[in-house]
Formats: sequence, C-alpha cells, structure tokens
Amino acid sequence: MTSGLARTVLASEFAVDPEDHAKAILNILEDFSEDKVRVEQTQHAVFNMLQDFAEEKSRLEETQSATLNLLEDFDAERAKAEGVSRDLRESVELLRVAKEAAEASNRELEAFSYSVSHDLRAPLRHISGFSKLLSEEYGPRLEPEAQHHLQRIVEGTRCMGVLVDDLLNLARLGRRDLSLQVAGLNPVVEEVVADLKTECAGRNVEWRIGGLPFVECDPSLVKQVFQNLLSNALKFTRPRPQAVIEIGQRNHQGTPIVFVRDNGVGFSMKYSDKLFGVFQRLHRQEDFEGTGVGLATVQRIVQKHGGRIWAEAELDQGATFYFTLGAPEKTELKTKAAMAGEQA
Amino acid sequence: MTQRQVEILLVEDNQDDVELTLHALQKEKLANNIHVARDGEEALDFLFCNGIHADRSFERPRLILLDLKLPKVDGMEVLKRVKADARTKAIPVVILTSSKEERDLVTGYGLGANSYIQKPVDFDQFRDTVKNVGLYWLVINQPPVAELSQHSATAGS
Repeated sequence: MTSGLARTVLASEFAVDPEDHAKAILNILEDFSEDKVRVEQTQHAVFNMLQDFAEEKSRLEETQSATLNLLEDFDAERAKAEGVSRDLRESVELLRVAKEAAEASNRELEAFSYSVSHDLRAPLRHISGFSKLLSEEYGPRLEPEAQHHLQRIVEGTRCMGVLVDDLLNLARLGRRDLSLQVAGLNPVVEEVVADLKTECAGRNVEWRIGGLPFVECDPSLVKQVFQNLLSNALKFTRPRPQAVIEIGQRNHQGTPIVFVRDNGVGFSMKYSDKLFGVFQRLHRQEDFEGTGVGLATVQRIVQKHGGRIWAEAELDQGATFYFTLGAPEKTELKTKAAMAGEQA
Repeated sequence: MTQRQVEILLVEDNQDDVELTLHALQKEKLANNIHVARDGEEALDFLFCNGIHADRSFERPRLILLDLKLPKVDGMEVLKRVKADARTKAIPVVILTSSKEERDLVTGYGLGANSYIQKPVDFDQFRDTVKNVGLYWLVINQPPVAELSQHSATAGS
C-alpha cells in the first residue's frame, strides 16, 4: 500500500485521480478518529488523575482532621493531667495544713494537760486542806450535821483529785513512746501485790500467782495494767469473806495470754462493751468507788503494746480479765489469739 | 541587828499554799524560822542579799522548798542560779509543785534539784509529805559542815 500511495502522489503531480482523493480523505479521517480516541483516552486519564487527586485530597483532609483531633485530645489530656497535678498539689497542701493543725492541737493538749495538772489541782488541794483544818480545829464545836457536810467536802475533793490525776495519766499515755525491754511479769506482779498490802488490811485475801511469761514490754506501763486489774479484783471481792485472786497465763499457739481472775461480784456480759470506755462504770459509786478511767487506761496501754484485752464474767460469779502484749513478729498468732478471745 | 538563822526558805506564790505548808511544818515543830519568798526574784534577792534583802548578811538556809510556777523569775531559774553559785549550791533544794510533768522532772533533776515532790491533793498526805521532807533534810540528812562554814566565813566577812 505504501508503494501504491507513493505512486498516487507521483501521479497527482500531474493529474488528480478522484478515487485516490477519496482514499486520502478517508485516511485523514481515519487518522483523525485515531487522534480523537487518543485525546479521549488522555482526557479519561486526566479525569482519573483528577479523581485520584480528589481522593487524595479528601484522605489528606481526613488525616488533617484526625491530627487536629489528636492535638485536641492531647490538649484535653494535658489539661486533665494539669488538673490532676493541681489536685495533688492541693492535697499535699491540705495535708500539710492538717499536719500543722494536728501538731498545734497536740501542743495545745500538752499545754492543757499541764495546766489541768497544775492549775486544777492547786485549788483542789486548798479546798481539801482548809476543810480538813476546819474539821480538825473546829470540828468538836460543830453540830454533827455540819461535821457531816465538812466530811462530804473532804471526800468530794479527794475523788476529784483522783479523777484529775487518772485523766492526766490517760492523756499522757497517748504522747508517750514505749520504752521496750524484755521483762519477767512475776516481779512486776509481786511489786504490785506488795503495794496493795494496805488495801488488804483486815481482809482475808488469797493471792494465787502462777508462773508468768517474759515479754517485751514497757515495764512501768505494764505495772499500771496490773495495778488497775489487781486493785479492781481487790475492790470487787470486798463483799466476799475470802477473796481469791488468781494471776496466771495460758498459752495460745505460742502467744502467752495473761489472766487475772477473782471471785468477786462480777458483772453481766451484756455491758461488756462498756467495760473499757472512759467514765463507764458498771457499779454504783456507793457500792464500789471509782472514776471509770482505770480500765480505759489499761486498754490504752495494752493496745499500745499491740495486744488485746477482754473479759469474761457473770453477775455475782467473779470476773476474769485476759490480755496479750503482742510481739510484732507474731502478728498472725496474735490475731488468732485475739480471735480465740472473741470466741471466749 | 541580829538575824535568826533561817532554816527553811519557802518559795511559793500562792497564799493558800503558803498557809497550808506553814501549818504542816509548824504542826510537826520542824522549823522555827521559815522565810517565805512570794516570787523567784525575791527568793534570789533573799539568798544573795540583794534588793529588799540588801542589808541582810549572807547566811544559808538549811533547806529550800521551791515551787516551779512563779511570777517574775520562775522556779527553774531560781534552781539554776542556786546550783550555779558556789555559796549556795550545797543547799538542798526540794521542788514542791502541783505538776508532775515529765519534762519538769527531767529539767529539775538536770539542774541539780535534790528532790522532786508533787503536792498531794489530799491534805493528810500533803502533811505527811511535808513532814517527811522536813524530817529528812533537817534532821536525818548530814550537810557538809566544814565546806558550808568555810564559805559562810568568806562570804559573810
């Protein structure tokens, strides 16, 4: 065909053959339509590209918005974190203020105790002293009723003196640090029993003192525990022709439990929860004197040692007080002993 | 002017306590001549012959009964000055006070107090306490006589 066309061109220089002419037009048209297809393809490609671009753009926008969201979240988180750290700072500040307040109130309590001990005892001594002098120097000249009134003043002052001293002692316990050492409890009990000799005067009292353990404790405080428990036992056996007071130990899984048992008037177990409360008394003042501070003090001392105290009693059938002086390394045993105590 | 030897210097600001203490001491006939100082400053003036006691010739009381809470100069300061001075440090000082504060006890003994006694509320007990203190320090206890008279001679001349 190429040679044909060359021939046609050569021939047209001289004369145009109409058939060749038509062929040429057809060829051009054909070329043109091919071009058109190519243009359309290009157009299509461009269109595709544009479409891709739009997609990319929207993806980019999404990424952008996601980034923005992230930034926003980050801001919120940061604000939250700042809030938390501000809260923390505020808490720390509140704690500091509370600690200062506690220290201040501790100092105040100390000053208060001091002034109770000094300023309250002084006028009490004066009332006691002068009413005593009045009764001694002018008593014989007074009517019996006046003498009785005077006697009540003296007695009232004495009670208040004991109460003030007991309360001060209880208040001091809170601030006091334990001075621990390993001590045998038998010498402590013997000392207390000896101190109580005068209170036993004219009474028939049988002391049964068993073998007691060696424990790590503050001996001067443990002495107070026995002083209170034994003088209670002595007091509440007063109506008995023969008082029997037994001090001994039981062992509960390696933890010694010390007990003080008496054959006194006892108490009803329904009031046992009041037993160790300050100012709680289970007997009338006329029957058995007391301030209601003793057992509260005992409990405070026992708890300071990490121990526990409880009682078993029956009305008119005597009472038994049990206590442990917990050793820190025997916490588990101690807990078991305490549980046994709860069951008891 | 002759001056009778003061056996007891009672340093006490409260009039009621002064009366009750004197009553207890006199009842036991333990001291004939008791001087009462109503605050710490007066106690020091008396001991060292200053102020209102400037015309007194120096002489040691045999015993000082000292309250702690005192106007002007408190009891601890009086104790400190008494124990710091060679002329007075041998005088027994018995702190006789209302309070039984642990820190007072520690400070008192630290400064050289010879006894620390809390005044009992009950008057019978108070009387017994005062009697025992007087009996112990004025009758039973032996003061260092030679040392006392030597100081007395130098200070008094």
